Amino acid sequence: MALPRVNVVIVGAGAGGGVAARVLSEAGLRVAVLERGGWMSAADDRKDDLRNQRTTALGHPFGPDDERNPRVLVDINGVERQVRPSGPGYCNNAACVGGGTLSYGAMAWRFHPDDFRMRSVYGRIGGGTLEDWPFGYDELEPYYEQAEWEIGVSGDDSANPFKGARRKPLPMPPLPPTREYEILKPAALRMGLHPFDIPMLRNSVPYQGRGACMRCRWCVGFACEIDAKNGTQNTVIPRALATGNCELRTGCMAREILTNSSGKVTGVAYFDESDRLQQQPADVVVVAGAAIESARLLLNSRHRLFPHGLGNRHDWVGRNLQGHTYTGAVGLFEQVTYDDAGPGAGIAICDFNHGNPGVVGGGVLCNEFIRLPYQFARQIPADVPRWGREHKEFMRRYYRRSITIYGPTQEVPSFECRVQLDPKVRDYWGLPVARLSGRNHPKNVETGTAMAVKAEKWVKEAGAIRTWLIMPNLGLSGGQHQAGTCRMGSDPKTSVVDAWGRVHDFDNLYVMDGSVHVTNGGFNPVLTILALAYRNAAHLAREWRHRT
Amino acid sequence: MGPKKAHRPGGRRRFLATAALAATAAGAGCGRAGSSWRFFSEDEGETLIALCEQIIPADQDPGARQAETAHYIDRQMLLQFQEFGRVYRDGLAQIDRASRAGHQKRFIELSAVEQTALLAIFEREHAAFFRLAVTHTMQGFYGNPRHGGNRDAASWRMLGIPEPPIRGRLKG
Amino acid sequence: MRLWWTVAVVMGLGAAAIVGPNLYYRSSAGRGCSRCHEIGEQYRLWKVSSHRSVACETCHRSSLFTNARRVATHALGRVPEQPRLATQDVFEMVERCRNCHQGEFAEWRAGPHRITYREVFLDRKHNAETRLREDCFRCHGMHFEGGLTELVTPIDRKGPWRLLDTRMADRPAIPCLGCHAVHREGVPLVRPAEGRRAISARQETFRPSVALFDRRERKASPLAELPMPVMKEGARLVRISPDHRQALCYQCHAPDVTAQTGTGDDRTPTGVHEGLSCLACHSRHRQTTRASCTTCHPRLSNCGLDVEKMDTTFLKPDSRHNIHTVQCADCHPKGVPAKKKAASRAFSG
Repeated sequence: MALPRVNVVIVGAGAGGGVAARVLSEAGLRVAVLERGGWMSAADDRKDDLRNQRTTALGHPFGPDDERNPRVLVDINGVERQVRPSGPGYCNNAACVGGGTLSYGAMAWRFHPDDFRMRSVYGRIGGGTLEDWPFGYDELEPYYEQAEWEIGVSGDDSANPFKGARRKPLPMPPLPPTREYEILKPAALRMGLHPFDIPMLRNSVPYQGRGACMRCRWCVGFACEIDAKNGTQNTVIPRALATGNCELRTGCMAREILTNSSGKVTGVAYFDESDRLQQQPADVVVVAGAAIESARLLLNSRHRLFPHGLGNRHDWVGRNLQGHTYTGAVGLFEQVTYDDAGPGAGIAICDFNHGNPGVVGGGVLCNEFIRLPYQFARQIPADVPRWGREHKEFMRRYYRRSITIYGPTQEVPSFECRVQLDPKVRDYWGLPVARLSGRNHPKNVETGTAMAVKAEKWVKEAGAIRTWLIMPNLGLSGGQHQAGTCRMGSDPKTSVVDAWGRVHDFDNLYVMDGSVHVTNGGFNPVLTILALAYRNAAHLAREWRHRT
Repeated sequence: MGPKKAHRPGGRRRFLATAALAATAAGAGCGRAGSSWRFFSEDEGETLIALCEQIIPADQDPGARQAETAHYIDRQMLLQFQEFGRVYRDGLAQIDRASRAGHQKRFIELSAVEQTALLAIFEREHAAFFRLAVTHTMQGFYGNPRHGGNRDAASWRMLGIPEPPIRGRLKG
Repeated sequence: MRLWWTVAVVMGLGAAAIVGPNLYYRSSAGRGCSRCHEIGEQYRLWKVSSHRSVACETCHRSSLFTNARRVATHALGRVPEQPRLATQDVFEMVERCRNCHQGEFAEWRAGPHRITYREVFLDRKHNAETRLREDCFRCHGMHFEGGLTELVTPIDRKGPWRLLDTRMADRPAIPCLGCHAVHREGVPLVRPAEGRRAISARQETFRPSVALFDRRERKASPLAELPMPVMKEGARLVRISPDHRQALCYQCHAPDVTAQTGTGDDRTPTGVHEGLSCLACHSRHRQTTRASCTTCHPRLSNCGLDVEKMDTTFLKPDSRHNIHTVQCADCHPKGVPAKKKAASRAFSG
């Protein structure tokens, strides 16, 4: 039996869905948000080094659970295997209210203006699908600002000349520098680089009724015990709920987007908390389940007129799956570099995001978040034994004397990096699961390698007595920065959604998450996802007013 | 239903249930009397301890034996590592077989130097199992004590990380 | 007739299931439990502790209801890895401790650490300034099972706030088990390492039972394993008493990440009282301080002030005589008179 009709049903209460819920409900629309996870907090992760969203040796606290949510991964040798969310290759983000923003590291980057016009800057790249965004940085700038002020960002990028213009500074100052920062900053300046304080969605001072970061060592991968990390779960979602226009239903797994006989979207069918099948009729459907699950939902929603899934007439849904090719360098030091002051990451350079001779694009380089001991035990140079006396000696000597410079290289997307429905494997609810396949474009390995070399120079200049590179590989990219599977564009033949996130072929079906990114920037993508959701949801609300 | 209520593997639960019911009814001891192992046999357990101690030996700081890393692995065999049961059984048996072949002794009866030499060869021949054992030993030694390893936070003390950290409340 | 037999057998089995556990606990004295539950460590410690004559079921309640529940959870396979005291059991423990440790209980009851859930979590002034957060539980209500949203509503700065379970209101937020572990070996009193001049360190010794209940680990961290901070005043390292008992105090009365004195909830003494242990002035359970002044004064001071009547409390951080920071110059802005200098030298060691 169908539930009472709403104006908008949003699938996913993460970064994009949370912002959309706030914008649409404050505009007066009746909104229902379906989230497959639940409300979670720091009480659920208990600061477990082996069980968090980043290190999943013993699983992860913020979902999805290992038992009900398999995927199939086809590796670069064509060997396919079933993977569980905590296993390698799954590309898990999270499944809970707030999505990844509950437990992320919270870097708040605006993309570089050239990140929106990669094709124009770098030309056609063979084997890749490099393309320009349908709009530029200036179009998104006001919404970046809105995200920064509404959700809350600390930091100071005024010393960064490699960025688009900003009208307003960040609302909060940066956290005081760590020891790593103090070592790296003068080194970067000596090299003629332009170091600055990383913008973070984290309170450095009390902001919007919540306190400042107390600098504990458990940050990325964990929920904040003092709620100083800003995600949609503690900002825009409570705000949406406070309007009285928004209902958030947790434990709800979307099954398919419903369409009527003439091919118009009419709502969403989902399994509720008790696994009962429900139908939520809606005037508009917004999909915001992150690049892999959003694509899967569109593909799982078939119709006589759309036998290959909604928006998939030209076989673009699920294509161009991309994340970031992370590379960098580790340096060992004589002096102690560890000061137990979280989150650890604090300093960045954007000198190498573009303009690197011989390679396509580049990326930001930052000092890495605090490495917990087990993470560090696995990050050792090739000539140190993996076990035994020497390994232990290495740990004892260098755990507190190392700096890692690390960064996300912007990728050239590939048409063959994709999300499909697996023909055999089904999840707990009987739905075909995502099947991930493809290989990283070789250009990304080149660019990533170039970035690793830059990182090594910086850490050497800072006084490292030994260094080694963290190198890229050809494995499928995706991970927590997954993007690109519902590409934005004006030509329905080569894209899935238009410049407002509306799926071609439909006037009432939208995608509002990283899926729509044409390219994924040389940065952590979350602020762009938030800003896009602000922009596109505001547009949807305007359209709604015209229509009614 | 979110991960909060996620299903957890039930093998051990069922074992506990059966054992406890039996015990309640009989009013007598329960479980495998005298064994401190849940998954491994006594012999396997001894070999595992020796293997872990080789992976992270004691020196001026405690090694894997004192940090009870094998205990961590044993516990997880019934929880997160269920899929590796056979791999461990076979792997540990192979270590002992290699030891008997070369020295006519069990692995645990070899000297530390002999053990190291044997494992250096074993690592090449049984790379998959050995890599797994190294990974799990690192988890048990450097990971959180709540999972049964890193006893008394021995590794964190060695690395000089205050635990629990002294960190004050901030106003506002 | 057959019906009656069935009823009798069922009742008999039921009774056995309920009485059975009791007999089992008595006969195995915890050994059986420790074979399956992950409590070998606690069992070993308890076996040689000063509480070894206190049977398991004294604290891990064994009533008809709990026994029936335990049988049911065992039968359903929902047995916890590590049986712990439920929130309510922790409060009942306070009463049990009181039965024997009456003096300590009375002291605690009269001091600030007897603070209740209501006083901590429904403090209007605090909540209007600072939103409640999970981290509150680190030092208050550390045994509460569940998250903040399961205890208080609403989580905002407007209020009015209320406890979801009103029975919690008068429960102690820092119960005995917050700082003591019952399963601890009972070796004789241990003297901490002490410096020759460390007045405080000579005064008291600590029981091995002293341990911080670490909520995240859900276990008691023994005092000996708790870290001591390196405190700073500006760039200067502050002298701290070697009295390791302070490691317990520092877990909650902690500085912020800068380790500067006076930040966060830090009360490290600087000025004339630098180097004194927390416990030199604060008695263990009551934290009373007035009486302790006479331990040193007026022997070490010639000022002739009645130190017991000065506004020394840290509750007035702007007090000129804040005991944690007061310096000679606070009272002698023009310099300490010569005749008093000797005394102040002896004083500051």
